[in-house]
Amino acid sequence: MRAGLSAELSRRSRVQLAALLKVQARLSLREPYGVGLGLGFPVVLLVLFGVISRHVPGNVGGSGLTVIDLYIPTIMVISFVAIAISLPNTLVRDREMGWLRRISTTPVHPSRLLAAQLILNLVLAAAAIVITIGGGTVIFGAPLSVNIPFFILSLVLAVAEIFSLGLVVVALAPTQTVASALGGVLFFALLFLSGLWVQPVQVGEPLRAIMWYSPVGAAVRALLYSVFNATPPVSALAALIVYAFVFAFVAVRYFRWE
Amino acid sequence: MSSPMSPIRLSGAARDAMTAVIEVSDLVKRYGATVAVDGVSFSVDEGEIFGIIGPNGAGKTTTVECISGLRVPDSGSISVHGISPQRDRDRIREFVGVQLQESALPPRLRVGEALELFASFYSNPLDPQGVLESLGVKDSERVAFRKLSGGQKQRVSIALALVGNPKIAILDELTTGLDPEARRNIWAVIERMRERGVTVILVTHFMDEAETLCDRVALINRARLQALDTPQAIAAQAGGSTLRFVPSRPVDEKTLSAIPGVQVVERKDRSVTVTGTGDLAAALINALAAMGVQVSELEARRGNLDDAFIRLTRDAASPGSEEVQA
Repeated sequence: MRAGLSAELSRRSRVQLAALLKVQARLSLREPYGVGLGLGFPVVLLVLFGVISRHVPGNVGGSGLTVIDLYIPTIMVISFVAIAISLPNTLVRDREMGWLRRISTTPVHPSRLLAAQLILNLVLAAAAIVITIGGGTVIFGAPLSVNIPFFILSLVLAVAEIFSLGLVVVALAPTQTVASALGGVLFFALLFLSGLWVQPVQVGEPLRAIMWYSPVGAAVRALLYSVFNATPPVSALAALIVYAFVFAFVAVRYFRWE
Repeated sequence: MSSPMSPIRLSGAARDAMTAVIEVSDLVKRYGATVAVDGVSFSVDEGEIFGIIGPNGAGKTTTVECISGLRVPDSGSISVHGISPQRDRDRIREFVGVQLQESALPPRLRVGEALELFASFYSNPLDPQGVLESLGVKDSERVAFRKLSGGQKQRVSIALALVGNPKIAILDELTTGLDPEARRNIWAVIERMRERGVTVILVTHFMDEAETLCDRVALINRARLQALDTPQAIAAQAGGSTLRFVPSRPVDEKTLSAIPGVQVVERKDRSVTVTGTGDLAAALINALAAMGVQVSELEARRGNLDDAFIRLTRDAASPGSEEVQA
């Protein structure tokens, strides 16, 4: 009897989540900030740096790597950042205009809406990874040799940390306008730190250390080692773990549903 | 849902022993130093349309938000079908449908999608198509929320409150900003909810709305419950009424003014106009009959809820004002 009830509850819970996923997916396609940026960035950047790589000799900054080799982790991280930064746009608005509060009068807690959105963002992130790794190796001939366990570990930490940072913006921004402004500033700072304009291997200290230990630089570094079959530095993985915890803590501590 | 276990409380002699489905007692809610709701008590019967009226900022919305479990009162108790909305929020939400003041849908969400989504949230929902049809927004099924008119948005908002097949619907300021025809249409929807046996709590600052729809109203003013009765009784007791008549022989004004409830006496030729509160006609006719005076050509104009509202909310500002009790 009790087992039947809990089975019924979990079945309903799945039905509710599926319905939210369907609606959020449709809305994401109608307001395609996340989809556009999350998939647009890897495609555009991959083509850009792939073409540059063909015209510039290898061994960038004495690293022994070509331009496309170095930029593959950067492009993945930038895609995650674009997806994470687009999250506040819709979620803060939904909160501001009372949609989350409206949901909270039903048997479904608005956290389910957030969960549905995060699942969709994970799908986008996975697509960005496939585009970048696939395009980088097949089209632009990057000689990757992925260390699967470390690659997965680095990806999980990078995505957790960067998505949590997006949720920090959701938690702290009172209105959609503030969220957009905050997200915009943060986005450009993170683009720089992830090595879009200049790779950490090309700059001197202390800028190189600042980049390597920044939230996105640490992710780029861990991914770079793991796609060339090396063990990422413990310091990079540790930085990712610390950032993930701090961002998640701040997001949870200050999160508001209304 | 099992039948409520809470004791039945009668708040008026005229009411039969009905089943109270919502009981609010001594509700207090503060926001910082401001007391939004101060010791409000009332109960709502099954199938009743219960109005909550009062000036802006009186505490109406806070009261219903406490009932729907959106806010936690500072003190007092609330029971909805025997369940506490604060302790057992999840169960309350299954059978209480809420339409919030100032709550919008994502601009690109379509009407049909919103209804399907909300239907999926409940264990025993109504058919979304049927709900849209009954509210007259079936044609807008594929229209995005941002493209709807104010009246259509309001109907969709009500549809979302109803699609979960609630036993209780809480509707906050549902016709604010609508044109007269849209308001009438929405009133018809509420009447149909009554026919289906849904208990409705209606927050409004339109007295005609309360007078048309509500079985009883609670007047909340300055965070306190100021009156609780049928709209007609409140109107009669506090709204005042005006009587014009011709006495069979002249009666002097002092005698008339001394009759309980009489406030103003005016004379024009043979006819007399008396304004006052309470059961004015009975008091007047009885007093005059005792003096051997007959009343003819009697005309009466009952005060409406609007008059009562203005009188009660204005009187509350001055000390020593009478409270109308049910």
